[in-house]
Amino acid sequence: MDYKYIEQLLERYWECQTTFEEETILRNFFRQEDVPASLLPYRQFFIEQDEMAEERLAGDFADRMLRMVGEESPIQVCKARRITVMHRFRPFYRAAGLIAILLTIGNAAHQSFSDDDIANGQQMAEDIAPDSLQQITIGQPEQQSAELTAQPADTIVAL
Amino acid sequence: MENISFRTTVLPLGDRLFRLALRITMNKAEAEDVVQDTLLKVWERREDWNQIDNLEAFAMATCRNRALDLVKRAGRITAPLDESQPTPMHSPHEQMEVREEFSHVRRLMDSLPETQRTIMLLRDIEGMTYQEIAQTLDISETQVKVYLHRARTKIKEWITNT
Repeated sequence: MDYKYIEQLLERYWECQTTFEEETILRNFFRQEDVPASLLPYRQFFIEQDEMAEERLAGDFADRMLRMVGEESPIQVCKARRITVMHRFRPFYRAAGLIAILLTIGNAAHQSFSDDDIANGQQMAEDIAPDSLQQITIGQPEQQSAELTAQPADTIVAL
Repeated sequence: MENISFRTTVLPLGDRLFRLALRITMNKAEAEDVVQDTLLKVWERREDWNQIDNLEAFAMATCRNRALDLVKRAGRITAPLDESQPTPMHSPHEQMEVREEFSHVRRLMDSLPETQRTIMLLRDIEGMTYQEIAQTLDISETQVKVYLHRARTKIKEWITNT
């Protein structure tokens, strides 16, 4: 593999002629394990710089500073709150209430359709009732003959 | 008017200030004290935050001065900083401790004269531009490049000769 470009970048780095982007290329190159022997002595220098960039203040430093200047801690403190059984099951009550309302509306709608059907049925029944009665009367010969004998002659003709 | 708050603008500078102070004091506890003093100083100037051109540069400069003061008060610098020679900043005992903690290369970097070391830190580790470094140290960009060139040349020589 040809490392001429890296070597050129490195020379320019020592001469302070590299840009940030070129220095990033150099750092990324030296972060990998597989570095040729000729460039190996420089690797530790760049690795050390990476490690120095990771040096940080103690974890509680920010909290201490905020207390010193009278600001609240960045960590939000959650206050304990007593929750009753009613509060805990409130979502279930809400869901049950919603279901009850839906069922009521559904039943009402269903009932409404059923009433319409009954009304229509009654109307139809009333419309066809005289014919049916007529047919029933015709369909019963003993009664018919008895009635015929009891009725005057002009009524029998009408039937 | 820029909205600057201690928590979101000033406090996040802490780690960067800590690394700068650490490169000067070579002691983590002292570096943390320096950062604390610096941030309190910046807090005291909160009425002027909107008048300060570059708050970060102001904080970095304050931090550097406080770290240098601390090192001087502790008697770890017996002579004014000489840019031509590595600065003997620690007693032999302290140097032994530093040797144990840091690697050979880091010790080479830490033995650079303070200005060179600080400029190398601000450029190579903090990623600051020459202009930002010049503003922080109150010197010209040309001087920044000269110091950085000296620092890198020495590091290169040390690496190639070992």
